[in-house]
Amino acid sequence: MSRLAVKVMALLGLAFLLIPLLIIIAVSVTETDYLAFPPVGFTLKWYSAFLTDAEYIKPLVTSGVLALLSTLVALILGVPAALALERSHLEGRRFLSALFLSPLILPGIVVGAGVLQLASQMGWSRSFLALLLGHVVIITPYIVRTTLASLADIGPSTEEAARDLGATATQAFWYVTLPTIKPGVIAGALFAAIISWVNVEVSIFNTTADLMTLPVKLFNDVQFQLGPVISAVSAATIFLAVVIVVFVDIAFGLDRFAVGER
Amino acid sequence: MTITRLWAALLIGPLLLCTLCFFVLPFALLAVTGQGYMDVLHDPYYWRIFAYTLEISAVVTAGCLLIAYPIAYYLIFIAPGRTLRRVIFIIVIAPLFTSNIVRSFGWIIILGRNGVINNALYDLGLIEKKLQLLYTDFSVVVGLIYIMTPFMVLSLSSVLQKIEPSLREAAKDLGASPPVAFIKVTLPLSMPGIVAGSLIVFTLTMGAYVTPSVMSGGKSTVMSMLIYQQYAVSINYPLGAVLAIALLAGSLVVVGLYLMAVRGVEARYKPLEASAK
Repeated sequence: MSRLAVKVMALLGLAFLLIPLLIIIAVSVTETDYLAFPPVGFTLKWYSAFLTDAEYIKPLVTSGVLALLSTLVALILGVPAALALERSHLEGRRFLSALFLSPLILPGIVVGAGVLQLASQMGWSRSFLALLLGHVVIITPYIVRTTLASLADIGPSTEEAARDLGATATQAFWYVTLPTIKPGVIAGALFAAIISWVNVEVSIFNTTADLMTLPVKLFNDVQFQLGPVISAVSAATIFLAVVIVVFVDIAFGLDRFAVGER
Repeated sequence: MTITRLWAALLIGPLLLCTLCFFVLPFALLAVTGQGYMDVLHDPYYWRIFAYTLEISAVVTAGCLLIAYPIAYYLIFIAPGRTLRRVIFIIVIAPLFTSNIVRSFGWIIILGRNGVINNALYDLGLIEKKLQLLYTDFSVVVGLIYIMTPFMVLSLSSVLQKIEPSLREAAKDLGASPPVAFIKVTLPLSMPGIVAGSLIVFTLTMGAYVTPSVMSGGKSTVMSMLIYQQYAVSINYPLGAVLAIALLAGSLVVVGLYLMAVRGVEARYKPLEASAK
């Protein structure tokens, strides 16, 4: 009996998670020029409107480039740091780990405000650089965390074996450490890129009409001009999310990825 | 393999420099440029908004726990087969990979004046006037619970997964009915997940900006909205900085109090855990 009750509650909870996304997708194919659910007829004209509208394409490109670049910078900064934190006896390692992970618990709006103030003091506020640095700050912890976890998982013994067999430190890193932590690092990088891709709170301080990210554009539109084009853009980002999640599942096993993640 | 101190410093250096320049320095700047700390502390207006933010965050945390626990429990203990578990994981995680704004938009369509719920109730003849569901405290809470539930499911399931199956079996063998076994064994052992999940959800909700803005339609204000207004509308950076520091300090205090309370509860459960091992 109680098993059945749990099952029913769990299925209701999953429906709660799923239904809003399904409704957005449904509304995006309506033939009406207002938001209609259930949708009237079937059309893809809102998708072609979205894909031919520079108002959306520019922010889309900006967000994509921003996500890729900030993830790249975060990888370059985060992976070596995690390696040193996990495999050295440097004093203050615990403090440094805590410092590097602390952006995870800070409100994005506070990080955004801080970056805007710094950038305006230095004369590069509302620039791509300001966006990039803000994103690097908030996404690097995800890479540090997954890299630390992967390194702790494998432990130092295989590297030591490689060294005993005559590998140099660099060889041990390239041929032993890197291949074993690669799945964890890729998963962390993917998560980091997504965090950048969906961010509004940090970006909104440094965007302008000409320098706009897709989530900030959607945020403005949802408040001031609701229409089926927004549902087409939103639905497109949902499709992308599902593709990525399924990819992660096939490549790494989502259950391991997720439960190791938090 | 251990890394020498010099190499460690070289490897950590760039990230440390970046963190100091673009994370620590901006904070120092916020703290220094903030003006009128005392005025804010003595103004009931700000306290009301802070209290409202706290209230919303507490309700959202509780709501997430109620929705997420059955999902996590079903996922780890009941769901038959890995395929089903993977599908559930996809349903839980896919929302995390779409922006808060897209997910809030879904609720606008559901709760709006001509939204899914209103239209359905009206067509069924259950209401004569459209209900005001959107742009209320209710819609803010629902929207935030929706955003935060995946985090809670992940926290809970990672802890539930580590519970030794023999403990639950022992409870059953000793004649505990499923509800008793749950209350005496599974629930106490899942406390770390409940604590971690609540902390994540609570702090994220305290700082949430997008969802409360969209779901309140500006009819109510939480701290983060107030902070953003100072930067974008009133162009009052000093006040914005004070409020940002206040939000940070306020959530740290609440988290600290919560952890102290949890330690008290855990002390009571410790003997049980020890005797189980």
